[in-house]
Amino acid sequence: MSNQKKRIFQIEAFKNRVVVDPKYAEKTWKILEHAIHEIYNHNASGLSFEELYRNAYNMVLHKFGEKLYSGLVTTMTAHLKEISKSIEAAQGDLFLEELNRKWNDHNKALQMIRDMLMYMDRTYIPNTHKTPVHELGLTLWRDNIIHSGKIQSRLLSTLLELVHSERTGEVIDRGLMRNIVKMLMDLGSSVYQEDFEKPFLEVSAEFYRRESQKFIECYDCGDYLKKAEIRLNEEIERVTHYLDAKNEGKITHVVEKEMIANHMMRLVHMENSGLVNMLLNDKHGDLGRMYNLFRRVPNGLAMIRDVMTSHLRETGKQLVTDAERLKDPVEYVQRLLDEKEKYDGIISLAFSNDKTFQNALNSSFEYFINLNSRSPEFISLFVDDKLRKGLKGVSEEDVEIILDKVMMIFCYLQEKDVFEKYYKQHLAKRLLSGKTVSDDAERSLIVKLKTACGYQYTSKLEGMFTDMKTSQDTMQGFCSSHPELTDGPTLVVQVLTTGSWPTQPSITCHLPFEMSALCEKFRSYYLGIHTGRRLSWQTNMGTADIKAIFGKGQKHELNVSTYQMCILMLFNNADRLSYKEIEQVTAIPASDLKRCLQSMACVKGKNVLRKEPMSKDIGEDDSFFVNEKFASKFYKVKVGTVVAQKESEPEKQETRQRVEEDRKPQIEAAVVRIMKSRKVLDHNNIIAEVTKQLQSRFLANPTEIKKRIESLIEREFLERDNSDRKMYRYLA
Amino acid sequence: MLVGYSNVSSKAKIKGLEKIDRLFNTYANSSFGMIDPEGIEALCSDLGVDYTDVRILMLAWKLKAEKQGYFTQDEWQTGLKALGVDSLSKLKKALSDLEKEVEKPSNYEDFYTYAFRYCLTEEKQKSVDIESICELLNLVLGVQFRPQIDSLIEYLKVQNDYKVINSDQWINFLRFCKEISFPDLENYDAIQAWPLILDNYVEWMREKHS
Repeated sequence: MSNQKKRIFQIEAFKNRVVVDPKYAEKTWKILEHAIHEIYNHNASGLSFEELYRNAYNMVLHKFGEKLYSGLVTTMTAHLKEISKSIEAAQGDLFLEELNRKWNDHNKALQMIRDMLMYMDRTYIPNTHKTPVHELGLTLWRDNIIHSGKIQSRLLSTLLELVHSERTGEVIDRGLMRNIVKMLMDLGSSVYQEDFEKPFLEVSAEFYRRESQKFIECYDCGDYLKKAEIRLNEEIERVTHYLDAKNEGKITHVVEKEMIANHMMRLVHMENSGLVNMLLNDKHGDLGRMYNLFRRVPNGLAMIRDVMTSHLRETGKQLVTDAERLKDPVEYVQRLLDEKEKYDGIISLAFSNDKTFQNALNSSFEYFINLNSRSPEFISLFVDDKLRKGLKGVSEEDVEIILDKVMMIFCYLQEKDVFEKYYKQHLAKRLLSGKTVSDDAERSLIVKLKTACGYQYTSKLEGMFTDMKTSQDTMQGFCSSHPELTDGPTLVVQVLTTGSWPTQPSITCHLPFEMSALCEKFRSYYLGIHTGRRLSWQTNMGTADIKAIFGKGQKHELNVSTYQMCILMLFNNADRLSYKEIEQVTAIPASDLKRCLQSMACVKGKNVLRKEPMSKDIGEDDSFFVNEKFASKFYKVKVGTVVAQKESEPEKQETRQRVEEDRKPQIEAAVVRIMKSRKVLDHNNIIAEVTKQLQSRFLANPTEIKKRIESLIEREFLERDNSDRKMYRYLA
Repeated sequence: MLVGYSNVSSKAKIKGLEKIDRLFNTYANSSFGMIDPEGIEALCSDLGVDYTDVRILMLAWKLKAEKQGYFTQDEWQTGLKALGVDSLSKLKKALSDLEKEVEKPSNYEDFYTYAFRYCLTEEKQKSVDIESICELLNLVLGVQFRPQIDSLIEYLKVQNDYKVINSDQWINFLRFCKEISFPDLENYDAIQAWPLILDNYVEWMREKHS
């Protein structure tokens, strides 16, 4: 504009209207139309962008946008129709290539055309809400090429065939595929989905349905899963190479469904190769693969977990009820430990430490361990065995590992109070016979029990250790204050606090004079230091070492129980003693007496006594003599020490009864504690609270709790509410 | 003439009381100053009622008698005044009214609880032996809950978990008869706070009928 005045610079509209030559529009259009043709004919280099742009601009400015736009549509459509024909004419493999080439051409052309018509794109088109040039170009391509009758179905089937070939192992031109697929994506997601993805997914589903059917018939579980995994990875890879990455989930879903979900049940239960077989044989690789594949489908992991759980419960149940195994408690527990270790391994290596599987494992173990009511006893015996000899020579670290493993099994016990009873008995025997392999190991286990069950659980056990130490100190004091006792028999006393140690009813037998004198000296020494205490000698628990000289001068040192010592000392003053005489003089209880005599007269290699008659049982009319011909290749002979054994039936009943009796006050104490704090509480809640409080020791029986409540009502600790008989009230 | 009026009424009262006292003395043991079991037996035969009749128990309840087999003078006076009787014939008639009074729901539980307490003859006694309980159940609940009571008594006699019954169990027997459908025992829930003895009874019943 040359309206330059020396005044304020203003831009004014044309004052004089430009006369528009009616033919002007047509002329201008023709120029542009020609340009489009040239562009499509790859002759764009001869065109002037600036001129074309200006022409288009002018047309729009002079209100000929409509003409321009419709002209564009017509021209482009005509070109596309030709292109369509040339694509249709392509043969075989060249079809896709031609399509691809033409597409690229079209895009280039479109770009130029759009640049050329940019003014229209920015003004006329938004004002009239028409489709912008670029989009228009895509739409026309779609309508005239992709959706053309002759191309549409051919395109789809070509693509699907290529995918199929690749699936069957052939190599295809992935780059070409990628371009074509990208073309479809560019044309809009509905085009991509309708013209390719939906059919693709259907065909894929069919393909995998057939393949999985074939595989399942001829492969075993492990191999099938390998194949499935391969296929899955293939599809994922295919997506990265030439499919829409956003929708990877769709095709993987197809594979998961057809290959895994549909055959899950059959795979898991496949005979000789299914889940159970894998578990039994620790096939960690296969199990891991199954876990990773099944994790992708709904309920996949649940299925694995359920089958594992029922298998574990079944094998566990057999383990604990197998009569053979029950004969050896140590073996029984070892087998439990092995089973736990096996499954820990499987869960960590194959199931990536999945918590839900860990929980299933725990609940299964808890279930079957408690099926056998002797489990607490056996675990204690196992520990006893380890602490007596099993842990000999084992490094400190390894000891900790073994004890930790045992503790894990211990935690599954519901009747921890039963375990405590047995453990106490066995510990007492170990301590008193000095038969423990490592003091540190003992202590370590006590600490672990304390951590698991609380201070109260272990306070008495710790008391036992304290007693042992204190006794040592007491003995030192006794010996130093009685120096005259260095000649003559030596006495070692262990003073046990009643209440910490398992109670044994004991009747003190008659000790030989030498011993009783010594014991009296100790008693007065001890009571001199600890006035107000009472000592009672537990003659059923001690041991003695006796030096003996037999008929031909054989010298031996005999290690015997206190009872046995009393019996043998009698023979210093008599050659022959009858059963009744022995019984009378020693006052040893009959059953113990018979056992002692039996171990000294009837056991080969330990027969320091001779019995008439030579029967293997002790009769009340038997007579006993020293066995002058006694022979043993060892100088020191051990005659029948008491070792912790599996309890006999009646002993078991007795222990069980004592446990039941002990539980009653515990239940009552819990009830009183709860009622004291809550003041008023209903029946169901009391049962729940009491059970929870006692959980760490044993599983409280609701009927038993009810009995205790009734007893407390009778003793007027509680009362029932008058209006609501379900409520109990605490009576202060 | 208020004085005269009260005189008349108090005279009437005194006269009424006199009659009650005279009646009392007919049966009382003079050395104890109260009616003892013999006296009660005599009273029963005069009333034409059996010694073991439930109406005597009801009378005891009305009298609020503390000790089984004995009526003190106070108890006698208060009781007969409450009944509004002062002669044997009136007392006889009152007995049937008494039955109706006891059966009123507001009184029944009180009477039922009283019946148990009445059996606690020793000091500090808290429970009653099974034999007596069975008889008491029959007496007190037998008419209203015949089938339940017969069955329950049968159970109590064969079981050996409990040799005596305490008051908590006793009161729950009544509840049981009132609330639980019989003989199906459909609505009995062992998880509820019923005494254990009833849990066991229900189990026994269910086993018998299966």
